[in-house]
Amino acid sequence: MSALEMIRLAMSRLRTSRLRTFLTMLGVIIGVASVVALVGVGQGATSGITARLQGLGTNLLTVSPGSTTSGFTRSAAGSATTLTQEDAAAIAKVQGVAAVEPEVSTQAFLVAGDGNTTTTILGTTSAYPLVRAYDIADGSFFNQASVDHALRVVVLGATTASDLGISTNAPGRTITINGIPFQVVGVLATKGTSGPFSQDDQAIIPITTHRDYFSSGDKVRSIGVSVADASGIELAKASIAATLEQRHGVTSTNQDFTIADQAQLLSTFSSVGATLALLLGGIASISLLVGGIGIMNIMLVSVRERTREIGIRKAIGARGRDILAQFLIEALVISLIGGAIGIVVGLLVSVLISSVAGWSVAFSPLTILAAVVFSLAVGVVFGVLPARQAARLDPIVALRYE
Amino acid sequence: MTAIPRPATVGEGTASPPLIEIRGVTRVYDTGRVEVPALRGVDLDVRQGEFVAIVGHSGSGKTTLMNIIGCLDRPTDGTYRIAGQDIADCDDDGLARLRSRTIGFVFQNCNLLPRTSALENVATPLLHQGVARKQRLERARAPLERLGLGDRLDHEPSELSGGQQQRVAIARALVTEPSLILADEPTGNLDTASGEEVIAILHELNAEGRTIVLITHEADVAAHAGRQVHVRDGRIVE
Ligand SMILES: Nc1ncnc2c1ncn2[C@@H]1O[C@H](COP(=O)(O)OP(=O)(O)O)[C@@H](O)[C@H]1O
Ligand SMILES: [Mg+2]
Repeated sequence: MSALEMIRLAMSRLRTSRLRTFLTMLGVIIGVASVVALVGVGQGATSGITARLQGLGTNLLTVSPGSTTSGFTRSAAGSATTLTQEDAAAIAKVQGVAAVEPEVSTQAFLVAGDGNTTTTILGTTSAYPLVRAYDIADGSFFNQASVDHALRVVVLGATTASDLGISTNAPGRTITINGIPFQVVGVLATKGTSGPFSQDDQAIIPITTHRDYFSSGDKVRSIGVSVADASGIELAKASIAATLEQRHGVTSTNQDFTIADQAQLLSTFSSVGATLALLLGGIASISLLVGGIGIMNIMLVSVRERTREIGIRKAIGARGRDILAQFLIEALVISLIGGAIGIVVGLLVSVLISSVAGWSVAFSPLTILAAVVFSLAVGVVFGVLPARQAARLDPIVALRYE
Repeated sequence: MTAIPRPATVGEGTASPPLIEIRGVTRVYDTGRVEVPALRGVDLDVRQGEFVAIVGHSGSGKTTLMNIIGCLDRPTDGTYRIAGQDIADCDDDGLARLRSRTIGFVFQNCNLLPRTSALENVATPLLHQGVARKQRLERARAPLERLGLGDRLDHEPSELSGGQQQRVAIARALVTEPSLILADEPTGNLDTASGEEVIAILHELNAEGRTIVLITHEADVAAHAGRQVHVRDGRIVE
């Protein structure tokens, strides 16, 4: 008896008691759907965070002032103001460093015609879009000459531009920052992030201009470093640390700066995300297990109900293994169809979650494959016991069964 | 009525071995509490083309004997050969193969598959032989039409009368062209007219050369057979 015949037989069998078949399937449907949806949400969260981190810049190191130690009191990280523009210049000379951008910042009030907003004014160099991986949507980023001559030019973040009501034709317009007129030269492309730490809400001006109007001295808030080659990150990190230690007269035990590694952050978040997905999937698997027990239960009832049929089939030539295959394939058909429906439902639920909660959802083909394999396994594991019971029935006993 | 070809004969003639050869067969049911001896030493030969009735009162061991002849059960002791094959040499799959190829069953209560059309019911033995669906349905149609059920192919057992159901069961027994047709009280649940019809069909099949073993407790039914074998208390009495 061919597998195709078996499947046809199982299907026609299952069609004769649709409601029961559906209810049996429901366990698997719910199980698979929740696995697919929860793993999808978990992976979506992970890849969302990963994408956001990658959006911060390629091969990025961020050098920040470390904590100061005065007496026995250790202040919070970043409280020291030990980094200077000269430090940035020195880092730029380190082997393997592609570009460097020192940053200073203040909050300021911006006005453009009728529009106004309060946002961060970032002073930096022309290397900023390269290091921080920004694209320019409109106009251009200011050049080195603008920095050298401390020109009053500004590049707006996408959100800031729209807050000011100048999303279109911004380059060439004049806006005021704390009352001082600046010419808009460009608008950054959005990174699609939102919330309090949006990378799209800021106004960027040359660092020299920033010092002239909004800050003084040559201390910087942080220094972004783009490393030429991803494989050279560790080496560059060590070289930068050595350079700064030497310049600041400190050792590795009392460093007054920290160097944050994007890759480190990335891998930490990825592994947290993977654990999250696994945990969610694990919880969802329990419902799949319950679904499997449901299949076994119904199959056992079904074997009992169909004892006479089994006896008849044996009498007219079916072998034990034919009966075994028949029941096993019935269980498999239930679990596979349930699995397929579950995948579709799971995907729909994920889409719903992502649109309602605003989370991103990832559909990996691996999850789908795992769901199919898993539901197949459920069918085999929970179908085998009833099927063996059916196959072992003595035909005479089965034929006498009322 | 179209003629059904004669089954392949196992060396017909005086020198040929009998189709069924039973020697000293016993069957003891072990119910756990007591041992019930249903057969106490049976010797029986049935030749190719014979129509034999096994007659006896209820509880005399007829069904037990039929189960053994039909390879549904094994004797506790003694030997049984069918078509020259000693069933002691067969494993369970071997017995299933004998049931599939050599024997056609007709049961007292029809034993059709429920919620399954007459055509599918008759095609089922071929399914277990591995015949493809199209040929199966084609081959199942012939015996049904022959038994006057050409217009009932799509009916399920619950939509058929008792007599019609039994004819479907006979069609199912015929579809594999078996050497032996085994009928256990095939008229037991039928009204007189339907019963006579069934007996007439068996007669006709025998006239075409098929070997028939009919089990019954009714003397007038047994009277149709070529030879009667009487069973009492698990033994054959002439
Ligand atoms: N499965 C069984 N277990 C125990 N005893 C049985 C079983 N089948 C039949 N018997 C007993 O064996 C005897 C013969 O039964 P059976 O062959 O069915 O007789 P018949 O078909 O002639 O009525 C009876 O006494 C019956 O109770
Ligand atoms: Mg009986």
